[in-house]
Amino acid sequence: MTELCTETLRELLAQSLTAWHLRGEVRSTGSGAVLLSSNATGIRVEPAPPGSPFRWQVTVNGHRRAALSLPAVLRRVRAALDPDYERHQVRIAPAPVMPA
Amino acid sequence: MIGVLVLTGFLGSGKTTLLRHLLQQPAFSRTAVIINEFGEIGLDHDLVEASTDSFIELQTGCLCCKVRNDLIETLDEMLRRRDQGSVPPFTRIVIETSGLADPAPILQTLMTNAAGRLVLDGVVTTVDAVNGAAALAREPISLKQVALADRLVLTKSDLANGDQRPLIDRLAQLNASASLVTADHGSIDPALLEGVAVDPHARSLALEAWLGEAANARGPAHARHDSEIETYAVVRDAPIHAIALTLFLEVLAEHCGDRLLRLKGIVDIAESPGRPAVIHGVQHVFHPPAWLPHWPSEDHRTRIILITRGIPRPWVELLLDAMEAEVVAAAGYLPLKGS
Repeated sequence: MTELCTETLRELLAQSLTAWHLRGEVRSTGSGAVLLSSNATGIRVEPAPPGSPFRWQVTVNGHRRAALSLPAVLRRVRAALDPDYERHQVRIAPAPVMPA
Repeated sequence: MIGVLVLTGFLGSGKTTLLRHLLQQPAFSRTAVIINEFGEIGLDHDLVEASTDSFIELQTGCLCCKVRNDLIETLDEMLRRRDQGSVPPFTRIVIETSGLADPAPILQTLMTNAAGRLVLDGVVTTVDAVNGAAALAREPISLKQVALADRLVLTKSDLANGDQRPLIDRLAQLNASASLVTADHGSIDPALLEGVAVDPHARSLALEAWLGEAANARGPAHARHDSEIETYAVVRDAPIHAIALTLFLEVLAEHCGDRLLRLKGIVDIAESPGRPAVIHGVQHVFHPPAWLPHWPSEDHRTRIILITRGIPRPWVELLLDAMEAEVVAAAGYLPLKGS
């Protein structure tokens, strides 16, 4: 894959729900956005408008916020849908697995 | 660098017998040993006869849940005594965990606190040919000990009646990336436990062994799994941008760190042609990548092995592709495309 298309984003979000053990419906619109609905929460994910320093915008129940990258999109979607979500901070070990 | 070998395995699986044998071998003569026993009165340390070139530190309590600080303090103390010359100049440390220990927190502790002088040399898990199948069926911690192993040692096979193939197949299902060694009356060739971390001369061959059979698998048909734990390989022919790999690992750890039992791999980094990166993580803790001067074999594909508890492979595959596409698009190489 060399470019990110709406269908890939839709599939990624649908698979993310499965990975997070959440139920919901994910569909793409004809205008390049992806819509998620889960319980009473509606989410719209779409590319940020041209000229924006952000890559994406995520609208949760009518509240729109920009997202810098796909990880930020996933974080926002997860936080909106999963009240039990606790983010695991990545920790980096001080030494590589093999000495240089 | 001093390699640290973690020896684990369920209760009664033959860890101490194996360790006792290893310490009698010349290759393990300069080995310091930490035995972690669960309970107030330890016995295992009485069963291991320390040679003049090895010594034993006894911990009480379970390393995985109670005394992680004690492990660090013990390692620091060992190194201090080594530097002072009050103990022989050991070149390896073996930690024998209790049979009820979850190895993951121990590995994380070693990865995050053993800066500079110690390096995780591998995880060896003993499995009892007589009772191993029952333990795997009954004890979740036994599953995890197998899933986290670099090498599996099948013990007591001389005592087992009947076909051991079902157990061997089960071990392969749980951890296809670990090589399996069968002990002969509690003994094995010590060379089979040599890790990938310490010996740079053995690095190339050992790396392929470290990645294991799963690294050469491709497609869902090769995924190994049981109801809880699954091993699979993500394989890519095209190079991956470093930032895409970073984002991929970050999302994996952030969202599923507790279910990412182990990740290891060799990655073709776009910015480093011909010099692949070796990556290694346990749950949400990752080593910084180690850069190889060249590929260790003719296989120059990116191969990332994941041992997970219920992280769906399609999500992992999509996630890596999406991160790469995002990075490429964001860099202006390609416009973001709506379909």
